[in-house]
Amino acid sequence: MAFIEIQNLYKCFKKVVAINRIDLHVQQGEMLTLLGPSGCGKTTTLRCIAGLEKPEEGDIVIDGKPMLSKGFVPPSKRGIGMVFQNYAVWPHMKVISNIVYGLKIQKLAKPKIKEKAAQVLALVGLEGLEDRYPAQLSGGQQQRVALARALVGNPKVLLLDEPLSNLDAKLREELRFEIKNLVRRMGITSVYVTHDQAEAMVISDRIAVMDAGNVVQLGTAQEIYQEPANRFVADFIGTMNFIPGEVVETLKDKDAVYVKTEFSPRLLCHRINHTSDLSGAKVYASIRPEDVEVFPDPPTHMENLFQGTIIHKAYLGNFLNFFVRVKETMIRVQVPHHLPQGEGQELYLFLNPEKCVILP
Amino acid sequence: MSRGNVILAALLWAIIAFFVLYPLSILVLESFKISGTDNWGLNNYVEFFRDTYYLKTFGNTLLLSTLLLLTTTIFGVPLAYILARYRHRGKTVFTALILLPIVLPAFAGVFAFIIFFGKYGTLNLLLMDIGIIEEPVNFIYGLHGLVFIQALHMLPFIVLGLSAGFTNIDPSFEEAAEVEGASGFRRFFTITLPLCTPSYLAGAVLVFLWPFTDWLTPLILGQVDFLPSVSYINISYHFTDVHRKYMGIVATVVSAVVCISLFLLARWWVEKRKYTGLSKGTTSEGRVVEPSPFVRLGAYVFMAFIAVLVLLIPIVLGLSAFSRRWVFEPFPTYWTLENFRLILLESPGLVKNSFLFSGIALLFGIAFGLPAAYLIVRTRVPGKDALDFVITLMLAFPGIAVGVSYLLAFWQGIPLATHWIIMPLALFARRLPYFLRMAHSSYLQLDPSLEEASEVSGAGKIRTFFSISLPLLLKGVLVGVVMFFIMAFQEISTAIFLYRGGWETLPIGIYLNWHRGMEFGIAAAMAFLMIVITFILLMIISRIGGGVLKAAWGAGEN
Repeated sequence: MAFIEIQNLYKCFKKVVAINRIDLHVQQGEMLTLLGPSGCGKTTTLRCIAGLEKPEEGDIVIDGKPMLSKGFVPPSKRGIGMVFQNYAVWPHMKVISNIVYGLKIQKLAKPKIKEKAAQVLALVGLEGLEDRYPAQLSGGQQQRVALARALVGNPKVLLLDEPLSNLDAKLREELRFEIKNLVRRMGITSVYVTHDQAEAMVISDRIAVMDAGNVVQLGTAQEIYQEPANRFVADFIGTMNFIPGEVVETLKDKDAVYVKTEFSPRLLCHRINHTSDLSGAKVYASIRPEDVEVFPDPPTHMENLFQGTIIHKAYLGNFLNFFVRVKETMIRVQVPHHLPQGEGQELYLFLNPEKCVILP
Repeated sequence: MSRGNVILAALLWAIIAFFVLYPLSILVLESFKISGTDNWGLNNYVEFFRDTYYLKTFGNTLLLSTLLLLTTTIFGVPLAYILARYRHRGKTVFTALILLPIVLPAFAGVFAFIIFFGKYGTLNLLLMDIGIIEEPVNFIYGLHGLVFIQALHMLPFIVLGLSAGFTNIDPSFEEAAEVEGASGFRRFFTITLPLCTPSYLAGAVLVFLWPFTDWLTPLILGQVDFLPSVSYINISYHFTDVHRKYMGIVATVVSAVVCISLFLLARWWVEKRKYTGLSKGTTSEGRVVEPSPFVRLGAYVFMAFIAVLVLLIPIVLGLSAFSRRWVFEPFPTYWTLENFRLILLESPGLVKNSFLFSGIALLFGIAFGLPAAYLIVRTRVPGKDALDFVITLMLAFPGIAVGVSYLLAFWQGIPLATHWIIMPLALFARRLPYFLRMAHSSYLQLDPSLEEASEVSGAGKIRTFFSISLPLLLKGVLVGVVMFFIMAFQEISTAIFLYRGGWETLPIGIYLNWHRGMEFGIAAAMAFLMIVITFILLMIISRIGGGVLKAAWGAGEN
């Protein structure tokens, strides 16, 4: 049995559906990320787990205890720690008072409180700042206070709502690893919300990609990047070229199909889903910019080879970015080495059938 | 939404229904009664609008409103611009002085200006002494005087709204116009001013409605042919003359309808066009310009002129308060503390009543306002928007209408008016929005996640309110508390209809002393006392709220 079980969760605001009957399991000690664009329902899901929103239907079971079906358990009784997007560090309390607030409510003995506070302060690296007020701290330090406050009570579950989105880029990258290490070391089951795909890939064991109130794909970072479930996921995680077409032949022995596209009547593509005969289905032949191979001169006897014109070329240090027009379609290409061809010149693109997948 | 919230909403609605909706509906019903019968009809209204006298009154009021708005706008626009945009010394002092009338009782100004600008007032006597004029000049008795006194009282509403507008405007709008080649006056009239119309309008509507509310100023100046004054005279002095009583009630309802509809119209218009910019790096100070020495001098003279007029009020009242028999002399000749002895020792009841009634009203206000603010900002209980709406409407409602409706509703049907508790209750109903607005806006600024973080940490709703919400709200709430008290302390329009022997407050005492004619010194001393008390309270606010400017904001529309 999973540590957090979200069962058939449904939440709407007036007539807008925020969460559309989702099921999601988080294993003990796992870091699961809810990833998606704004308005996809990820924050609402997190707030439902916290008890800050009451869903209309469904249940949330934490460590075997139902939070909704056997009477609503308020946030104060759920045993969770939460880090808010804007930190929510109380401005009228010193750092130390912020951190021990929850321990005092639990009526812990004074020496015990002191000990725990000292531990957590060391853990997040805030020693010596106990008696400051939040206004005297930098954004990153306030973030650490929020983290310390969430961790100090040894919560069963840690919830993080875009905790890094208000920090500058450098600090954000540093803290990603720091949070990951901290949470893993303490072994806390945690749910992390973000709209930043790179952050999600760094920090989580598994990612749940959400769109319009649904979980559209659940898997590790690698699975989601390499085998996206649909166009939305492929487009949201990384960049993808889409070439619309129709399946004309399914090769049963290999995991491959021929797709009729603007490029050619028979574009050979890989397919992830092995089960059915797809002939006649409208699909998108999809390939990532870094998987497109380029040749200045046409190599002989190669399938999936197309001639195109360079429209834009940009030098980005560790790689080159091209926009190449093939017939009427613009293909993005990323190559790790130098090419002499410039804008307006011809180029040959090889869409490797192993890397070119079809997506619904 | 929890059951507790629904119960709370129901409770607050019950209070509003009993203390606001019920009396007001009695007032409206009464206006449709046909005198001498048990029937209902439009007769009173038909009579009112057929009678040339009442029509003339209505016309006069509209004329006064128009002139008042014109005057305050002509003076207010440059004043707001100077205060918001020019960098100059003494900004705080000038701002405080110009905004002061907002917290002074309207009648204080009237008394002061009668003494100073009256037929044989200080100015006329001085001018005659040096021989510039032979005969005294009529400075204030007439429409011009009325416009002058009311304009000085209402000027802060225009200045406050507009100067906030000038400060908060996104600088890039003006910079873009500058880049396009529009400079100086052109930029001001095509970009700056139009962008500030919403903030101007919010103040302008209150200015325009003031003549439909203020019955006392025209009365004291002997110009009674205005709607609220007619209502007051008809209802107070001719309650037994059934015809005049009903005409008075109709006049009250007509004033209230004008006020409410114009207020709603302005609100709707302001809501419709809210201009917001997207640029982020704006300074809190807004655009500040360094004027040329010539312009700067002009600005100083202009500000000083207004500031001196405002300062006349406490100075003249002070002179009058510490003297006796000040007539036909430019300055008092006989100094005494007799006035204060009479007020504080002979009849201390007035001061005591003022504090008692305002204090109890304040307790009601807090007990109602805090939960109401919570409900409106933090919950999704049905009916909470309507609650907010009704309470906001009270801002525009003429005090005289509240007074008359309380008189009608709580005299016979529910005999609440036989007990002194009616006085604080009426003050509470009348000044309700002042506290609620402050609590409301500080609640809006309180980030909900601060409260949520507390709940997640294990604190219940009540504990969260007392250890997180209340300490963070305290500043705003305290400013609201003092502002409410100041406003309740000087309230006369409702109280004048409800007081009985022994329930007089300071404002009523002032009015009665003037009315008796001979005790002008005592009236002035009482008004001076009120100004001093108001001033002390203002100092308290500025200590809490950071700056007199912010303090005065509490009274305005924000």
